[in-house]
Amino acid sequence: MKWLFVILAFTIIISGCYDTPYMQGQRLYQAHCQNCHMEDGSGLKSLIKPLNSSAYLGDDAMVCIIRRGILDTIFNDKDFLPKEMPAFKKLSVVEMANLVNYINNKWQVDFKEKTILDIEAAVSQCDTADY
Amino acid sequence: MKNIVSGFLLIMTITLITACNQQPKELPYLGNMAMVDGQEVHHTVGTIHHYNQDSILMTNADFKDVIYVADFFFTSCPSICPRVTKEMHKIYEAVKDNPMVRLVSFTIDPVRDTPERLKLYADNLGVDHNKWYFLTGDKEGTFELADTYFVTAYEDEEVPGGFDHSGKIILVDKTGHIRSYSEGTEPQSTPKIIEDIKILSDSYK
Repeated sequence: MKWLFVILAFTIIISGCYDTPYMQGQRLYQAHCQNCHMEDGSGLKSLIKPLNSSAYLGDDAMVCIIRRGILDTIFNDKDFLPKEMPAFKKLSVVEMANLVNYINNKWQVDFKEKTILDIEAAVSQCDTADY
Repeated sequence: MKNIVSGFLLIMTITLITACNQQPKELPYLGNMAMVDGQEVHHTVGTIHHYNQDSILMTNADFKDVIYVADFFFTSCPSICPRVTKEMHKIYEAVKDNPMVRLVSFTIDPVRDTPERLKLYADNLGVDHNKWYFLTGDKEGTFELADTYFVTAYEDEEVPGGFDHSGKIILVDKTGHIRSYSEGTEPQSTPKIIEDIKILSDSYK
């Protein structure tokens, strides 16, 4: 009985440390994404797009958005407000895979892990395509 | 007999706790005392001479009948601002039905953050322009003003976005004295300032 309790406590502590299989992705998210997209991925009203309900979850286009950034501008007649997402060009393919898998795993309904090869293909497509 | 004693103790405890809760709480005055005309006065915020998102000039006189929470930000801020604004929005949701309370966000980047741009920002945040003011004014004046709100704000090309500043949310009473604050970057500190706004608001009833 005592051992059962110890094992249970140990399991709880361990699982508390690893609430995601993508630890590096989580650290990258905290460092680069969380200030704007928030810890829960909710964004900020119409100013910052939410990630937790994003249409890009699971889509390879997400890789390209992270790599190139987005210049989103809100217009009202001649008034405008630029809302720029910076480009994260320096992320390696492995870092990109971990980050994208972290985000997808957290919020995509039917999560499927992206392989390094998937990400590599998405990166090279992003770097060659004009848009 | 034992039951009677326990029952008595229980009633005593409940009475004591309710008695404690009924005592009116008063928020402290934050900051150092200053001497004005030979009189000791509590620390007071500096000169507000800023335009809001509807291009209307606002001064300290516009805040003499309201209490407000203030933060310092800029719309193109890539670092902590969105998180602070998120907490300000939580406060907005909590106090929007209290006519005595306002929210004020001072931009520290007045060159880019014109009233028109701040209006777009407020519109996209979906907030009432008469409840939450976004103020722009002289840059150096705003840095000096920030100092009186215990917020550091200065230009620094080394940091992302070009401005370094802290993410404090400051509660100011009708006479311009600072009565409470929270850290906009720490969501767990937000319920406390919402509670303090209520205490301060109730103290004027």
